[in-house]
Amino acid sequence: MSATELPVKGSFRGVGDLRLVARQVRFEQLSFWLNPIGAVLTIGFSVVFIVIFLSTSGHSTVGYLAHINLGQYYLPAFAAYGIMAACFNILAITMVNRREMGLLKRLRLSPLPTWMLLAAIFINSMIIAVIQIVLMLLVGRFGYNVHGPQDIPAFVLVVVVGMLSFTALGVGVSTLVPNADAAGPVVSLVFFILVALSGLYFPVKPGSGLSTFTNFFPIRHLIVACVDSFNGIPGASIWNDVLVMALWGVGGVIVSLRRWEWSPKRG
Amino acid sequence: MPAVSVEHLSKSYGDTVAVRDVNFEVEKGEVFALLGPNGAGKTTTVEILEGFRDRTGGRVETLGVDPADHSTQRWLRTRIGVVLQELAVEPYYSVRQVLTRNAGYYPNPRPVDEVIDLIGLTEKRDDRIKRLSGGQQRRLDVGLGIIGNPDLLFLDEPTTGLDPSGRRETWDLIRLLAAAGTTVLLTTHYMDEVEALADRVAVLFGQEIVASGSPTSIAGRDLGAVTIRFRLPEGVSMDSLPVPAEPSGDGLVEIHTEDELQVLHDLTGWALAGRHALQGLSVLRVSLEDIYLGLTEGAGPRRGNGSDVQQEVRP
Repeated sequence: MSATELPVKGSFRGVGDLRLVARQVRFEQLSFWLNPIGAVLTIGFSVVFIVIFLSTSGHSTVGYLAHINLGQYYLPAFAAYGIMAACFNILAITMVNRREMGLLKRLRLSPLPTWMLLAAIFINSMIIAVIQIVLMLLVGRFGYNVHGPQDIPAFVLVVVVGMLSFTALGVGVSTLVPNADAAGPVVSLVFFILVALSGLYFPVKPGSGLSTFTNFFPIRHLIVACVDSFNGIPGASIWNDVLVMALWGVGGVIVSLRRWEWSPKRG
Repeated sequence: MPAVSVEHLSKSYGDTVAVRDVNFEVEKGEVFALLGPNGAGKTTTVEILEGFRDRTGGRVETLGVDPADHSTQRWLRTRIGVVLQELAVEPYYSVRQVLTRNAGYYPNPRPVDEVIDLIGLTEKRDDRIKRLSGGQQRRLDVGLGIIGNPDLLFLDEPTTGLDPSGRRETWDLIRLLAAAGTTVLLTTHYMDEVEALADRVAVLFGQEIVASGSPTSIAGRDLGAVTIRFRLPEGVSMDSLPVPAEPSGDGLVEIHTEDELQVLHDLTGWALAGRHALQGLSVLRVSLEDIYLGLTEGAGPRRGNGSDVQQEVRP
C-alpha cells in the first residue's frame, strides 16, 4: 500500500460491479460447459424425458384439466422439472461440492463481494433452466404439435418466481448437507421422490390424498402453475401456487442466512 | 506502520479457546513465520488477519485496517493474497482460465502469463486443472495467491505436498516477492523452510506465543553450547587432546562447550603444532528443530547434539 493510498470503504461500486457480475456469470457458464458430461446430462435429461413422454402419451386427455391432451400436460410439467433440476437439485449439489472443496472459502478471500458471487451463481442456474425450457418448448411445438404458453405473462411470472424460490431452497438445502459424498444421494433422493409424487410423471387429481400431501411442498405448486398458465385453463388461478412457492423461497433464504458456511464442514 | 499488528488477540468457540493473548507485529517487506503443532491456533490467527474469521478479543490491524471491519474488507482483499492450506481449485478450468478469472477481481493484477511463468507452469498453461499433478496444483494455488499483486501475502503451509525441487522453486518465488517488497506471513511445519525464508519467527503452542525472534537467535539459540566433532587422529589417545572430549559412538569424538572460540583455538593450535589432521571437523549449534521441539513439548529447548541452551522468555 502506498503511503498516500487510503482504504476505500463500501462494497458496491456502481456499473463496474455489474460488469464484474456479468464476467463472473461468463466464467460460471464456462465451468458448466467445460464439463460436457455434466452439461449434456443436465440439459439432455429433461429433453430426452419429454421426448419419451410426448411420444408415448398418444391421444389421452386429462379430464380434470378441461380435457387437455396429455402432451399439453407433460410439456409444462417438464418445464417445471427443468427449473427445479437447475435451480434446486444441481445448484444444491454444486454448492455443497464447492464448499467442501474449499472453493467458497477461496472466493470469500478474494475481493469478489459475496453478493456478486451469489448473483452470478443464481443467474447461471437460471440460464441453464431457461435453456432447458426453450429446448423443450421447441421440441414440443415442432415435434409433437404442443402449443403454449397460452397465458404468457402468467407463465413467465410462474417461471421467474419458481426459479427464485427453488434457487433459495437449493442454497438452503446445501447448508444442511454435511459433506460432498452425501450431497448427491440426499438431495436427489428427496427431490426425485417428491417430483414423482407431485405429478411430473402422471397427473395428480386435486383433492386426492396424494395431492393433499404434496400440496404442502412447492414442487407440486410449480408443476400445477406451469400446467395451468401454459394451457390457460379456464378458472385456474396461479396466485395461490405463486404464494406458496414464494413462502418456501423465503424459508430457503432464512435457512441459508442462519446456516451458511464458507468453510468445509467435513461432517 | 507495520503490515500486521496483533495485540492481545483471543478467539474462542464456546468453551474452546483457539488462541489467547497473542501479540506480534510484522513489518512491511518482512517474511514472518508462524510455527506450531497442529491445533496450536496458527490457521485461526491467520484467518482472523485475513478477515475470514472474527476475533473474540484484542486488537488487530492488517495493512492499517481492522480486518473485521466490513466497510473496508473489499479494499483489504484487493491488497492481500492468500494461499490456503488445502488445494482449492476448480477442476475443469485450464490454468490460464482460472488465473484470468481471478485476475479480474483485482484493480492491478499481475499479468497472467507472468504468473504462469513464475509458478513454473508455462508448459501446462492450457491444461485442465484436473490433469495437473498434486504438486502442480499446489503451485497453481500459489499463483492464485499472487495474481492480485498483493502487498501482503498469507501462505498457509505453501509447500506441503511439493517435491524437493517444487519446494525450492516456491522458496525462490517467495524470496523474489519479498525482495520486491511484498510482506509475507507464512505458516509451516518445515524448519528448513523457516531458516531459508523467514526474517523472524514466532512459535505458537498451547494457543499462545511461547517464543519469537530471528530463526538464528530464537529461544537463545545463538547463545547456547555448541558441539565440536572430529575424527581422532591416528596414534593419538583421547587423553592427549588439549581439551576434554568424549567418544560420540560413530567413530568421532565430541567436545561440548559454551566457549567455542577458545576451544577451537586450543584444538587447532595443538593439531598444527603436532601436525595432526582433524578429519571431519565440524561445529554444530543447537538446531531450530531442537528449539521448536523443546518449546512445544513443554520441557524447554532440547539439548542440540548434547548441549543445553537457554530458555527464551515470552515476548
